[in-house]
Amino acid sequence: MRRTMGPFDILKALVATMLGLIVIFPIYYAFSASFFTLSEFSASPPKLFPSSFSLHNYVRAWNDSLLPRFMANSLLVSFFGSVLRMVVAILAAFAVALLRFKGRNLLFFVILGTMMLPADALIIENYLTVSRMGLVDSYLGIMSVYLLAPVQLFMLRQSFKTIPQTYREVAAMDGCSDFRFLVSVVLPISGSIVLTLWLHSFVTIWNTYLWPLLVTNKPLMRTVQVGITMLGYADSLDYGPIFAAITLLLLPSVAIFLVLRKRIVAGIAAGTIVG
Amino acid sequence: MKGHHSSLRRTISGYLYLVPALVLAYLFSYRPFLKTIINSVSLVNFSGKIVEFVGLDNFRHLFADRNFQVSLVNTFRFALLFIPLDLLFCMFCALLVYRKRRFNGFNETLFIMPMAVAMSSAALVFKALFNPTIGVVNHLFSLSIRWFDDPRWAMLTIVLLGVWMAMGLDFLLLLGALRSVPKQLVEAAQIEGAGPVSTFLRVQLPLISPTILFIVTTRLRDSMLLGGPVMVMTAGGPFRSTQTLVYQMYVEGFVAGNYSKGSAISVVVFALTFLLVLLAFRFERRGVFYQ
Repeated sequence: MRRTMGPFDILKALVATMLGLIVIFPIYYAFSASFFTLSEFSASPPKLFPSSFSLHNYVRAWNDSLLPRFMANSLLVSFFGSVLRMVVAILAAFAVALLRFKGRNLLFFVILGTMMLPADALIIENYLTVSRMGLVDSYLGIMSVYLLAPVQLFMLRQSFKTIPQTYREVAAMDGCSDFRFLVSVVLPISGSIVLTLWLHSFVTIWNTYLWPLLVTNKPLMRTVQVGITMLGYADSLDYGPIFAAITLLLLPSVAIFLVLRKRIVAGIAAGTIVG
Repeated sequence: MKGHHSSLRRTISGYLYLVPALVLAYLFSYRPFLKTIINSVSLVNFSGKIVEFVGLDNFRHLFADRNFQVSLVNTFRFALLFIPLDLLFCMFCALLVYRKRRFNGFNETLFIMPMAVAMSSAALVFKALFNPTIGVVNHLFSLSIRWFDDPRWAMLTIVLLGVWMAMGLDFLLLLGALRSVPKQLVEAAQIEGAGPVSTFLRVQLPLISPTILFIVTTRLRDSMLLGGPVMVMTAGGPFRSTQTLVYQMYVEGFVAGNYSKGSAISVVVFALTFLLVLLAFRFERRGVFYQ
């Protein structure tokens, strides 16, 4: 399929690679700077490569700050938040795609309508709600606003709709309840999309900043994205531990990204991952 | 009779599956939306309780407030810099690699890598890169700009961060669109003697215009909601030069405890996102070509 490359193609590839290297430079720099010593940060001209690969900054970030706790918080919130989010979306998508009852489409549009109301513009009222519920500084409080994902609900509905009605009729004749049909027929058939959406939810919740910042006051309850901006070295030039912390966050997500690259690209091409 | 009974049961059980989603939609979207609108026309005390109805007073004060005018202008300044820069850069990158050739898969991966990075990490790295004393940006380009102390330049750092975070997705969308343009059309134009520029302008650009409209619309909406990067990078400064609507809303609501004003700003943000999306779709009828 691939034609041999003419001089113009080679030039384009070279320009693209150069631009690409500039694009990933911030990622490279974070990695490289995580090994800098204090004097290397203030070196003039600024350094681009560390002189040694000492893990000094990593040890300091891990031991002198709440970073391990921040990471544990983020893991808990992202895991349980994304699982609950999938449960809510699966139940609703199942009802609108496969059950027949009055008002189903209207209620579906009521849920989809929340897409018109961007959450970031609702933070003040949502904060008041969560604080009246006594959920400030709690994991549930951090998760609360992410539990409904209309875009994912929509995509699950599209996927569930491809399951033939006859399956359900046959199952109903055998005395299979709706819920059992959902668990033992619908979910296994839709395993791959459910898994993709769950992973995407996990990453979305893991990456959020504004809301977790607002609903947590105690340092012990901060998520890692919030905590990393408050590590407390920022006012000096002692950036080393911050870059070590950033790198610790970056490496797993870059690795996951590279592994799932084909799936992500295909998902965007099919319009599934957007949003 | 029995059939009627079971269909009623079926209806009720159908609703039960929707209850969690509906409760969440009410609690965290519709109710706060209505409350925000009500708060914006009321005087609200420190604990979030409404004291009295004041009509449009909050908005009158808001639009007379110099601070708010600055936020409004800055939000649009961000959008007007960010969206064209993002589109041009992503389009250029997509045009470089859209034909399947050796190395292009690798180059594609480089362009979409920023998608793997969370906003707060990216903002911290950019903050260090633009640091006037230790940052490599000034050094590599032989500049001596004090990025975060100079009101003329601070917004540009946030724009560049915005482009960096948006480019993975927008590049992929444009790449997909370019690849879906039928090869015969491009080849026909070339046979008729059109150069690469006129092929792009007359054949490819019209065909990918729906994707461009989609990107412009979503990015306009994102621009109106810009807040997080401002918090991490500049805290609105220097001299309020990066203070955006959502950032001011956060300060009024959470630092000053002025819920009426915060809610009024929030209503302005809603109105703007709504209007701009409507405007984009009006433009669509004239400027966008669907196959």
